[in-house]
Amino acid sequence: MGILNQLVMNAIIAGAAYAILALGFNVIFGITKFLNMAYGAVAVVGAYGVFLFCRLNSLPLWLGIPLAIIAAGIVSYLSDVLVFRKLRRRKATSLVHVVASLGLMFLLQAAIAIFFTSQYQSLADQNSPASVYAVAGTFITSVQIITVITALAVLFGLTLVLKKSAFGRAIRAISDDEEVSKIIGINTDRIISITFFLGGAIAGLAGILVGFDIGIFPTMGLIFLLEAAIASIIGGIGNVYGGVLGAFLLAFAENFGVWKINTVWKPSVGIGLLVLFLIFRPQGILRGVSKK
Amino acid sequence: MPYLIHILILFCIYAILALGLNLVVGYTGLVSIMHAAFFGVGAYATAILTVDYHANFFLSVFVGMVVAGALAYLTGRILRGLSWDYYVLGTVGVNLILFGIFTNWGSLTRGPLGIPGIPRPVLFGIHFATNGQFLFLCFLVLVAVYFLCRFIVRSSFGRVLKAIRGDEKAIAIFGYHTLHYKLAVFSIAAIFAAVAGSLFASYLTFIAPSSFDVMASAFIFSIVILGGAANLNGSLVGALVLTILPEALRFIGFSEDIAAQMRQLVYGLLLVLLMLYRPQGFIGEYKLG
Repeated sequence: MGILNQLVMNAIIAGAAYAILALGFNVIFGITKFLNMAYGAVAVVGAYGVFLFCRLNSLPLWLGIPLAIIAAGIVSYLSDVLVFRKLRRRKATSLVHVVASLGLMFLLQAAIAIFFTSQYQSLADQNSPASVYAVAGTFITSVQIITVITALAVLFGLTLVLKKSAFGRAIRAISDDEEVSKIIGINTDRIISITFFLGGAIAGLAGILVGFDIGIFPTMGLIFLLEAAIASIIGGIGNVYGGVLGAFLLAFAENFGVWKINTVWKPSVGIGLLVLFLIFRPQGILRGVSKK
Repeated sequence: MPYLIHILILFCIYAILALGLNLVVGYTGLVSIMHAAFFGVGAYATAILTVDYHANFFLSVFVGMVVAGALAYLTGRILRGLSWDYYVLGTVGVNLILFGIFTNWGSLTRGPLGIPGIPRPVLFGIHFATNGQFLFLCFLVLVAVYFLCRFIVRSSFGRVLKAIRGDEKAIAIFGYHTLHYKLAVFSIAAIFAAVAGSLFASYLTFIAPSSFDVMASAFIFSIVILGGAANLNGSLVGALVLTILPEALRFIGFSEDIAAQMRQLVYGLLLVLLMLYRPQGFIGEYKLG
């Protein structure tokens, strides 16, 4: 019974982190409709931002974390302004977009490794170990509780922005039809760039939370990318709620899939799930946005 | 001189990988980021068979080719019908699974520690022990693969591949079973990669899973894109540039670790700049978009 409870708890915690990743991924995908390979690397920028501000320069967390989130957002924003916007103007195919984003992923990952070494680092304060709470016969750390709460906050915040604000309406208009949006006077380039900032900041937030939980290393971005992409695709890519559903489905499948076998096969379970969905239900649990 | 031979051997191995992948990416238009996994299958076939079972090198090459070809066929079947950007993700996923097998199937692959003591090949009493002799072998294989690829792309089979890249629905209407063509070319490329893997294992005499991860696949992919999709000579140029580049970075005086990162940084930058300003690569014929 204890094991089962702990498995469910682990799945909820992992699902919360995946959900945040998927939310940011879906915001960007919904408007650009290409697989942004650099997304995971942006999340890593957030994690290393906290490392730089709070661990190397001893800023307090309440200041360092927002700065790191903004830094991740800015990197994502710049990726659009410097690269993707130009590709969009040229009406490049999404293949070109994906290859360019692959290049950006290389670039970011290598730059992080050069500045901070490719070693594993710890984000959490070594001197004050994380508090552990016992809930329903399971163990959960304070970071993990914060992750779950943050996931809910991001979900509600994002829903509010997308449904109620003029910016959200503009995003939905562009997802629907970029050309027409331009004609009716929406500054599409600006809205798309801000969306990149928003998605990147959410990615950075997820990177920070996971970094506090398990530590940081430069190549963790690929794992973030896969988690975000798998959760989004099985949930219905481009659909904000679908991504959250997909995230929890992925987390439960992974945690229960490796119940009786070695946990090193966790990523394989996720990929197996992805392949199953791609073959039998490519539109995801909730129908996603149509692709170009 | 020994250093030059070392560079040339690496060039041959990367060129074989890139030529094969170019058939898939450049000519057929299937974006696959799992080539290093097939490379790894060849390398592990040679390592396991020659070290644990004292088999002949060339037998191990053959086994690697068969396993890689079969795996490619299977992967192609599973991933068929995916639109191309999901296909990319699917190949990345399969690469991760195979990497997981290389790393975690300890009783077969010895896990992350890798397999040392892989012997150099012996054929008809000729022992390719020195690097010079080994370069000769690699060069022979490269020439063979180059002309095989050239034969393939100039044949009617190759024309169908290009037609699939152009408009798969249209060519299917003409009665071509495009799936068979795609599976065939994917398997051929995997078989070439396995041969390169066998050479790689035998040359270094040591292999570990880290040479066959997704980043390695992305690296081979960038050779193809950099050199130019759908141009075999482009793949040779791309392999040459990307083999020499890290050495040049080392000469500038970066430490080993930083040089490896700088190399990745430059690859990334090159990919971005090419997509922005020259999507057909250095000398490619087919513009990506």
